Parts: sequence; structure tokens; C-alpha cells
Amino acid sequence: MILQRRLFTLLFALLPLLCIAEGWTPETLPMVHLQDARRYVCNPDGVMSQAAVDSTDAVLARLERDKGVQTVVVAVKRIEGGDPYQFGMELGRKYGVGDAEERTGLIIVLSTADRAYQFLTGNGLEGALPDAVCRRIQNRVMVPALKRGDWDEAVFASVKAADGYIRRDGQLGTGEGDETDGPAPYLLLGLVIAGFSVFIFSILRASLRDCPRCGSKHCMRSHGMTFFRAADGRRRRRITWRCAKCGYEETTDSDDPGSSHRSHGGRWMGPVIFGSGRGFGGGGSFGGSFGGGSFGGGGSGGRF
Amino acid sequence: MSKKISKGTTVLLVAGVVVLFLIGGTLTTYNGLVAKDEAVSTAWGDIQSQYQRRSDLVPNLVSTVKGYAKHESSTLESVVAARARATQITVDADDLTPEKMRSIQAAQGELSQAIGRLLAVTENYPELKANENFSELQAQLEGTENRINESRQKFNAVVQNYNVSVRRFPASIVAGLFGFEKKEKFEAEPAAQTAPKVEF
Repeated sequence: MILQRRLFTLLFALLPLLCIAEGWTPETLPMVHLQDARRYVCNPDGVMSQAAVDSTDAVLARLERDKGVQTVVVAVKRIEGGDPYQFGMELGRKYGVGDAEERTGLIIVLSTADRAYQFLTGNGLEGALPDAVCRRIQNRVMVPALKRGDWDEAVFASVKAADGYIRRDGQLGTGEGDETDGPAPYLLLGLVIAGFSVFIFSILRASLRDCPRCGSKHCMRSHGMTFFRAADGRRRRRITWRCAKCGYEETTDSDDPGSSHRSHGGRWMGPVIFGSGRGFGGGGSFGGSFGGGSFGGGGSGGRF
Repeated sequence: MSKKISKGTTVLLVAGVVVLFLIGGTLTTYNGLVAKDEAVSTAWGDIQSQYQRRSDLVPNLVSTVKGYAKHESSTLESVVAARARATQITVDADDLTPEKMRSIQAAQGELSQAIGRLLAVTENYPELKANENFSELQAQLEGTENRINESRQKFNAVVQNYNVSVRRFPASIVAGLFGFEKKEKFEAEPAAQTAPKVEF
């Protein structure tokens, strides 16, 4: 089982190397947005630096949030067939980039070994980003950087320029088609809060003890807490319980968890709550989805 | 208490149920064919609008090129003439006969070729190639050609879907009764495939 897992990991790690030789296809290209909703740049060959990828992702995340324009940027060494237009169209068809109704998807492909680039715009984006403007961005910003071999600048500056043009369009970004809109997210939030409340309530109720004198259920309330040092030097906690019905009192002693936490560095509470696991420590990296958008062939491309 | 149903009544009931099924099936099939027919009309309208878009770009292209390449008058005139012929032919989606489809394809293919020749000629004029307006115009033409190709593919797909419904039994009976006929698809002709190729 372990051997199988290692082989699978090895194959997964070697996938980019295998694809460099033949070129990426829409089927083999890892779509980072599906793993992490805040990522839009597919950079499997490391064509761009991580800093440039992060900066581009940040711009595109804001663009989707503000204007509802969903983007996929592909920066690779080689694509199968060497035609970025066909590659982009197939990618758009496969994943449905952009909103299905508004059709505001944007795909930017850069294939460095093929020395080719392409912008593809969904029909809903043609007003904000017509073919002529795509070409203008490419002529003024992208191609000069590509000719210098500065892939980071070529992609980031192009994305920034496109972002600027799209933001000038007052028609876009009215919020329609936004993933966070509609009743579903609020319903989900409500269910989570309700579930959490029931969970907490049941824990609290289960922790309440029955009165040994009058026999009433879950009626022993905490009435006070003191600390003391035991004979072996350990710091102990004493809780006084009082029955809400008959007034009967009793005490329970236990180790002071605060003292234990400080002295042992938090054996489990720390890692569980403040752990640096990818799921939580990273600030909530949940997989994204595409809106089912389509492309009609608009955009602009070329070779450098 | 129990009353025996006569044989005649049973036959009538069965016949009634069969008739109801037939009417229901016919209505469902008819509505499905109408929806598919409308999809064909929409796809055809999309192609027409893309053709119109390309025709609208031609005067701007011609005037831009004319400013730099004054000696290419014959090439420019052939583009203008091809555009005039292409814009003369308009066919409604309900009247897509094989002859009309061929004439549209021929006229639009001729315009594509004329634009392609004009763009090839512009390679000889570096100043024109360096002109930003011309570059953006090229991008619009290229984008329009791509849109035309995508629209044609979509049209062929919806026509195929419609044709399969029209010819498949028992829908073919309903199609025959209500006059739903097989529609023509775009054929890949050499002229139609010669889109203006823009090299950078």
C-alpha cells in the first residue's frame, strides 16, 4: 500500500517533466483554481516566479470579486500542437471558465517554447475587452516583455492592463452570477451556526451533573473555582458545584489545565487549533469552481 | 354489487388510452422539434451577425491600407467587390436550401480570400504593419474569423441534432406530418477554409 502510494506520488511529481517533452494539453494541465479558489495562474513548469504568480493571483481574485470576471492564466513551456488559440478554446470548453449566463470568462495562454500567446474573451467581456484592446495590451505591454524573455512582467503587466480596462466598464460587476450571491451561502452559514450551537449546547448539557441528593437531572451548576497546590507540588483546581433545585453543594478537584498547558507547551490544543496544516493554517484554501462560461472565438493572439 | 364491464367498453377504454398516448407522444415530439428548429435559427442568426461584423470591418481596412499602399488598387477593389457580393446574399433560416447555402459559402469564401490577399500584400509595407490602428484592425478581423468558425461549428452541431430528430423513427412521422425537413450543414470548402492568416 505504501509502495503504491509512493509510486503514485512519484508519477504525479514526474507529470510536469513528461508533459514538457510533448507539451501540455487541456486534459493534462493541472487547474490550480479547482484546488484553491484564490489561484488562477497555472504555472506547472515554473515559467513564472512564485512572487509574480502570487501577485497575478491577487489581481485576478479582486477582479473576480469586484467585476465577476473569472480568469485562467496558463504559463507553460510548451503546448501540444503549439496553437494557443486551440488550446485556450479547448480549455474553455472543458472547464467552462466564466459565468454561464454573463459569459465573462478570460483565458490568457503563454507558451514560451512555442513563442506564442493568446487572449480569449467570453462574449460578455467583448464590450470591456474587445479584440482591438487585447491587441493593444499585447503590443504595448506583453510583446516587449516577451522579447526580453521577461515572462513575469509579460503576464503580470498584461493582467494588470486588462484589469484596468475591465474595471472601466460600468456594466460589469453588478454582482449577478457571483458565486457568493443567492440564498445558498446564507443557508449554508445558517446551518453551520445551528449545528455548532447544538453541538456546544449538547456538550454543556452533558457536562452538567445530576444532583446526588434530590436526583434532578443536569442541575449541578458551577458555583466557584479555586486553585491550590497539592502535596506533590502540582497545581490543582477545585470547582464548587451547587444544585439549582435543592441547593446541595459538593466539590471536585482536578489538575489545572492552564498550568499543564504552560508547562508542557500544549500537547494537543495547540496543534489542533493553531496548527499550520494546509486546510486551516493557510487561511482557508478551499477549491474553486468554474461558472460554465463559453467562448465564441473573441480575443487576440500572436507570436513573438 | 360488482358490475361486469362489457367487451365493447374495454375495447373503447384501451383505444382511448392508446389515442391519449399517441396525442401525448405527438405533442412532445412536435415541441422537441420546434425547440431544435429554433436552436438552428439562433445559430444561423449568429453566423449572419458574424458575417455582418466582418463586412463592417472591410471599409475601415480598405481605407487604412489605401493610406499606405496606394499601388495596390486592384487588390483593394477586389475586396470591395467581394464585400458587395457577400452582403447581397441574405437567407432566412427557414429557407436554407442546398443551393442557397452553397451560394452563401461561395460569396463569403470569396470575401475571406480577398481579405487574405490584401493582408498578404500589407507584408510589403513595414510602415503599415507598424501602424497601431492597422494592427488592432487585424486583431478584429482575426477575432471575427475565429468567431465565424466557432459559429459555423455550433451551427453544424445543432443542425445535426435537429436532423437526427427529424429522421429518427417514430419522430420522423411527426416531422413528416408537420413539415419539418432535413436542413443543410456547412460543408468545408477550400474557399471557406482560407481565412485571412495574420502572421506576426
